[in-house]
Amino acid sequence: MTEELTVMMLSWEFPPRIIGGISPHVYYLSKNLAKNGVKVYVVTCDFPGAPQHEVVDGVEVFRIDSYKNPSPDFATWVYLMNINMQKEAAALVNRLGGKVDVFHAHDWLVANASVGLKHVFRKPLFATIHSTEVGRRNGVNFDYERMIHETEAWLTYEAWKVVCCSNYMVSHVRWAFALPEDKLVMIPNGVNIEEYAGDENTDFSQFRRKFALPREKIVLFVGRLVYEKGIHVFVNAVPKVLEKVNAKFVIVGNGYMREPLLKLVKAMGLAHKVMFTGFVDDETLRNLQECADVSVVPSLFEPFGIVALEAMAAKSPVVVSDTGGLSEIVEHDVTGVKVYPENPDSLAGGITKVLLDKKYANWLKKNAYKKVQEKYDWYRISQQTKSVYEAVLREYSKSFWA
Amino acid sequence: MRVIILSWEFPPRRVGQLAGYVKELAEQLVKRGVETYVVTYHDFLTGEYEESEGVKTYRVTNPVRTHIGVLTWVLTLNQEVERAAANIYYKANKQIDLIDACDWHFIQAAVTLKKAFNVPFTYSVESLEEHRSHGANSPFNMAIKSIEWLGSYEASKVVVKSEWMRDEIIRAYKVPIGKIKVIELKSRTRMTEVLETYKSVVGGASPQ
Repeated sequence: MTEELTVMMLSWEFPPRIIGGISPHVYYLSKNLAKNGVKVYVVTCDFPGAPQHEVVDGVEVFRIDSYKNPSPDFATWVYLMNINMQKEAAALVNRLGGKVDVFHAHDWLVANASVGLKHVFRKPLFATIHSTEVGRRNGVNFDYERMIHETEAWLTYEAWKVVCCSNYMVSHVRWAFALPEDKLVMIPNGVNIEEYAGDENTDFSQFRRKFALPREKIVLFVGRLVYEKGIHVFVNAVPKVLEKVNAKFVIVGNGYMREPLLKLVKAMGLAHKVMFTGFVDDETLRNLQECADVSVVPSLFEPFGIVALEAMAAKSPVVVSDTGGLSEIVEHDVTGVKVYPENPDSLAGGITKVLLDKKYANWLKKNAYKKVQEKYDWYRISQQTKSVYEAVLREYSKSFWA
Repeated sequence: MRVIILSWEFPPRRVGQLAGYVKELAEQLVKRGVETYVVTYHDFLTGEYEESEGVKTYRVTNPVRTHIGVLTWVLTLNQEVERAAANIYYKANKQIDLIDACDWHFIQAAVTLKKAFNVPFTYSVESLEEHRSHGANSPFNMAIKSIEWLGSYEASKVVVKSEWMRDEIIRAYKVPIGKIKVIELKSRTRMTEVLETYKSVVGGASPQ
């Protein structure tokens, strides 16, 4: 190992290029690793207006020319982009005199580049698997999907350690790629508490008025309006909650279920009680999360459930369905309320309990915030990541590559 | 001199004539005292390693079995080529003078190894996508052309087999004429010319 632990992260997205969850994940992880004294280089795709090289919060970011010609399909574009990513990363490691201790890849999107770099420079490779093709498609049915699945398998095969963000994902990835148990590491996803570090006495009454009447409690849903997020379960719980509490149901996000849901709400005669905001900017979202009387995550399928963490960081009590990553994030009656998935009665019961019992709600949010600080703080997560790097480097030092 | 030849076909795997050319080239190099390695595709025909007539051959297979076409097949095979070439590099105490990339398939590997180790490469052109696809310019053809362009851009020397091909690659990829070496297969001085070309590029890839 060089004097300073040096990591090269490979990711197809990094702010300002944001396509999905990998971009913020790599950003917060890298930034906090840097705070922990790790030298981090990020090699990522270019973005209009973003410089080829810059230092962001102590992290050196290199943006490569992603393949710009028309491409036959997405996967082929990924492989073509990897030609440039690998070439630029190889040149960078060469310029650094080989002083990189670990390559860390995020998803199959950088599999080719990172596997090649591992062998060329003979350094250990980490792979964080954020999602799988077999999970996204609920099985692999065509050659195209199978090719991506096998590329993921190849990356996990070549990796020294495979990192997943929840125990649920650990078992899923282990099953999907038939990996040995000791190859997998669970390091949770994080949430940036500082972004929610608003003053507890902030007066939200003006802001709140845009969404609800003063007497109405705010019940918040944030997510894509798609089937697996269970938004239909949420809408079906509305009348059951209204029997006991006066509330406004605010739905943030968009998706193919928006139109059918609008019709459903109208047919139920609840148009005045349910508000669809569509997409909102980051600040509005954070304010909403901070002033919500309860945040609801009714998903049917959820690999991790970052939105529940955000609500917990925003000190809003959470009601979640007991499934996937959500089951791990929330402890029932301690850091939130867990309800049966796809069950509007159970969901309504959870929401009502939180809304009617102020003491209970305060207890939940106090514990939840503490839990987020302890377990889901990026600084701590980066410390965990660093110690896994160090453990692997100790193993590596005994190998013939060292 | 120590040379690694990258070729997607090598006997017993023959797709076209390239396999035969590469075999002859490798054997002739050995006769002239060049330590010659070939990295090629395995195709389950032979074992991983073979030494014949002094030519040391490493064969790799594709880590991704299912593919949607030859392009994606090539693009995931390159990392295995890099692995085999890197193993040769480290075993040889990092003393590799040159890589000779035959045709477009393993240009990614040649470029990455050049960037990583400052080992220069020659790009030996067998044919061009433009001629193979009869002028078709779908995203698929464009991708292969972009790889051929990368090879001609990053190579220290581009070796072609005829003056016609020299003119074609100048037209297609704007390669400076001084970078191209025409070596005809039938030329009596062929091997002397190959060795001269190799020697002219050794040490030529500067750190960047």
